[in-house]
Amino acid sequence: MTINATPRELLLHLQSVVGSLPCKYAEARVALNESTGIALSGDEVDSISSGDSCGGSIRIFNRGAWSFASFNDLSGIPSRAGALLRRSAMLAGTAPGIFRSKPVVAHFATRPARACGLVSFDEKFGLMRRYNGILKKPSLVQTTRSMYRDSRTFKLYCNTEGTAVSYERSFCGVSFTAIAKDGSLIQPFSESAAGFGGFELAQGREEMAERAAGMAVDLLHAEPVPGGTYDVVIDPHLAGVFIHEAFGHLSEADFIYENDRMKELMANGRRVGGESLCIIDDGSLEGLTGYIPIDDEGIVPGPAHLVKNGVLNAHLHSRETAYRMDEAPTGNARAISATAQPIVRMTNTYIENGPDSLEAMLDEAQGGLYVADALGGQTNLEMFTFSAGYGREIKNGRPGKLYRDVMLSGNTFQTLADIAMIGNDRAMFGGLGGCGKKGQSPLPVSFGGPHLLIKNVLIGGRNR
Amino acid sequence: MILKPPASLCKKCRWYDVIGTAGRSIPVFFRNNRLYSIADKETSGVGVRVNVDGKVGFSYTGGDKGLKTAMKRAIEIAPFGEYEDYSLPPVSDTPSVALDAGKLEETDSAPVLSAAEETIARILAAFPEAQVDMSVSYGSGGRRIFNSEGFNGAYRHSSFGAGITATIVAPDGVRLSVSEGVSSCGPVSYDAAVERLLWKLERACDVRRLAGGVLPVICTPKAFASLLGIVASGLSARSVFKGISPFAGKLGQRVFNESFTLTDDPLADGSVYSYPFDDEGVPARTKNIIDRGIVTEWISSLKYAARLGVRPSGNGSRGHSSLPEPSFSNIVVGGGDDDFNTLCAGVRSGVLVDQFIGLGQSNTLTGEFKANLDLAYVIENGEITGRVKDCMLSGNLFELLAADSVFSSERIRYGAALAPFALFPAVHFTS
Repeated sequence: MTINATPRELLLHLQSVVGSLPCKYAEARVALNESTGIALSGDEVDSISSGDSCGGSIRIFNRGAWSFASFNDLSGIPSRAGALLRRSAMLAGTAPGIFRSKPVVAHFATRPARACGLVSFDEKFGLMRRYNGILKKPSLVQTTRSMYRDSRTFKLYCNTEGTAVSYERSFCGVSFTAIAKDGSLIQPFSESAAGFGGFELAQGREEMAERAAGMAVDLLHAEPVPGGTYDVVIDPHLAGVFIHEAFGHLSEADFIYENDRMKELMANGRRVGGESLCIIDDGSLEGLTGYIPIDDEGIVPGPAHLVKNGVLNAHLHSRETAYRMDEAPTGNARAISATAQPIVRMTNTYIENGPDSLEAMLDEAQGGLYVADALGGQTNLEMFTFSAGYGREIKNGRPGKLYRDVMLSGNTFQTLADIAMIGNDRAMFGGLGGCGKKGQSPLPVSFGGPHLLIKNVLIGGRNR
Repeated sequence: MILKPPASLCKKCRWYDVIGTAGRSIPVFFRNNRLYSIADKETSGVGVRVNVDGKVGFSYTGGDKGLKTAMKRAIEIAPFGEYEDYSLPPVSDTPSVALDAGKLEETDSAPVLSAAEETIARILAAFPEAQVDMSVSYGSGGRRIFNSEGFNGAYRHSSFGAGITATIVAPDGVRLSVSEGVSSCGPVSYDAAVERLLWKLERACDVRRLAGGVLPVICTPKAFASLLGIVASGLSARSVFKGISPFAGKLGQRVFNESFTLTDDPLADGSVYSYPFDDEGVPARTKNIIDRGIVTEWISSLKYAARLGVRPSGNGSRGHSSLPEPSFSNIVVGGGDDDFNTLCAGVRSGVLVDQFIGLGQSNTLTGEFKANLDLAYVIENGEITGRVKDCMLSGNLFELLAADSVFSSERIRYGAALAPFALFPAVHFTS
C-alpha cells in the first residue's frame, strides 16, 4: 500500500490488517497532510513553505498494556502489525481492561467557504503582506511577526470493534505579533485566530492586526504591576485560560484514576464553587478550534458537565480511564498526529454564563485590577499561573491606569472557591497555538467564559 | 539516504540544499509505578531549499520519493521569498565528535525495562506513598545535508535517555512532584538522577512559610538551565538583526558580571545535542558566546550571519520540514570556585529554587521573568529547612547576571545545558 492509494483503499487495507490481529483490541490511524505556511517579519519574508507528510500508527491492547508502532512509510503496515503483536505478547502490564464501544462507520468533512487548496499562494501572500503592513505602521513598532498556516488532512481510523471513519479536515489561521521598542524598553503583543474551515478564517482580520500593534505601543510605557494580593475582574479570554489551565487539566482522568488522594479531591459530588459555577468540555461544538467529530480512539464526544452548580460532576476520559473509574467515556482521547499515542485531552472548555453584569463586578472590585487577554498558562495540578496581556487598576467602577507584566498565580480549588461573581457575556477563543501535554503540542483547543470576579489573587512582581 | 534532486530542476536554481532525516526510537512509559506502554517509532523526511534569482523558497515531504515534487513546489513559491545573497558551504573537512555510542539494533529491551523497574523500586523504598512515572527512550538515526556547492555530509547519532517524576499528594491536596532526567549518546545509568530526586523529595516534606521581600536566591542547575533560555534568545543573530535583543550593538562590551562565561559546544562528546556540522553544512566549532561577561559572538545561521556581516557560527538548526534558524547546541556555563554547600552556608535567609511554573510567559525579551515556584526550599542560616510554596519570584535575569552572581564549582547537565548552581544575592519574592 502506498501514498498513491485512495483514502478508501487505504481504510480498507487498515481494516483488513487490524481485523487479522488476534488480540483483545487493536486500532490503526493514518493521516495524509498538505500544508502551507507564510511568516513575515518587519520588512522581510521570514519563511514561506509548502509541503506534505504522511504518517500512521497501530496500537494494540494486550496483556494489560499498550503496544504502539508509528511510521511514515505506509508500505509495510502488515509486517509492523505482526512485530507489534509479538512484542505485546512479551509484556505484562496491569491495566484491567478498556471501555468497549459500539462501532461507528462514518465520513466527516470540514465545509470551508473557500477551500485553501483552491486559493493561490499569491493571494495568501498578499493578504499577509497587508496585515503585516498594518502591524508595522506605528513608528514605535520595531519588528513584527505575521504568520499564516493552512493544512488539509485526510484522517483515517479503524478498530477491531468495526469502527471505520474518515475525516477530511481543513484548518486555517493567522497570528500577529507586534514588538514595540523605545530605548531599552521592548514590548510584544500578540493576537491569533484559527479554526476548522477555509481561507475565509484568515480574511477580515485587519482590526486584530491594528489591535496587536496598538496594544504593543500602549503597553510600552505602562508600569509593571506591583506584586501582591488583589481582587481581580478577569475578561472572557483570561477566564478561558484559567479554566483550561487550572481546572481542565485537573479533570483529565489519567491524572486521577490510580491516585487515591486525587480521586478524593476530584470525587463527583464534592462542592468546589458557588451555585452559579458550571464548567463544560464539549468536543462536538462545530466551528470551534477544539472540535472533533470523533476522538482518536473512535469515541464520539459530547458535552461533559465537569462542574454543575458548583459541584464536581464528571471527568474527561479515554477508553482506559473510563473503564478503570467505571464512568461513561467522554471522547477525550486525542493525539497530536497519527504517529502519536492518544492521551486524555480537553477540547472546547468553558465556564457557562452566570447572573452578573460586568458593571456590577467593577463596582464590587474597588481598588482591584481588571485583567485581560492571555499570553499563556501552566499548571502543576495544584497551583497554576497564567499571564495576562495587560491589567488596569479599577477606580470608581471603571478600568483605569494601564499595567503590563501581569502574572496571576494561585491554588486551583481556593481560586474556584474565591470566584465571587460570574458574568453573562461568555465568549470562546482559539488560535494557531494550542495546548501542550506529555510532549504533544500544540493541540488545537478552544476555551472561554464570561467575565469573572475572583477574590484574593496572588500577582507576581516587585512588592507594592 | 539519496538526496540528489533532478538535474532539470537544479538548473533553475542559483543554489539549493536538501536535508534528509530518518530515525527510529523505542519509548517505554511506566505510569504510576508500573509498565504502561512500549512503542516503536519511525520517522523520515526530506526538505529542500532553493534560491531562484536570489529569492529563497522551501518545501518538504514525508518521504524521499517526493523530492522532485517538493523541489518543484519550492521553485514555484521562491519568487515570494526573501532576497538572500549568501553562499552555501562547499566541500570541507568537518570535525569528528562521538555521537553514536549505542546501537538501537543491538539494544535488548529486557535490561532497559528491568533497570527502570529497579529505579522505581528504589524510589518507592524511600517513599512508599510516591507515584513514579518514568519514560525511557533509546533510538538512533541519521542526518544528511547535500547542496549544490558540493557539500554532501552525513552522520549517524544515537540517543539514550530517561525522565523520572515522583509525585506525592498529601491528604489536603498539597502536591509534591519532583522530576529528574538524564540523556546521552550511549546507554545511561539512572543512579545520579535518582540520588538527586531523593535528595529533593527528602527536603520537601515539611512546608515552611517565608515572608515576601528581596532575598538571596540559589537556583539549582536544573532551574538555572531553564532560565538560560531567556539569555539564549537575546544572543541569537536573528534577535539582534530584528533589533529586539538588548545586546544588539554590544559585541565586545561587558554586559554581565565577570563570573559569567557562556559557551556553545556542538563538539561535546556523548551529548545528544552535538553535531559535526550544522543543518546547513557549516562545520561545527566550540566558541565562547559570553566570555567573562563580554559578548564575543552571536549564535547564527547562514542567513542571519550574512545579514549582520559576521562569520557563520555553525548554529543553523532545523528539522526536515522547516527552514534553518539560529539555535544553541550544548550551552555550557562556566563554574565558579566554591561548591554548592559553601554557597548555601553563606545565606542567612533565602530560597533554593528547583522548578518553576509559567517561566516563559513573561516579557523575556528584556530579561524580565516572573514565575510561581513549583519546587523551592527555604534556606535559614545556611541550612535547607523545608519547602516553600504558593509564592512567586520575579526579576530581570540580565540585571541579576550583571550584578554579583556567584556560580558553584559543580555542574550538572540538563538537556542541552551544562549548568552550575547560581546564587543571586537579591531577587523579588512574593508570597
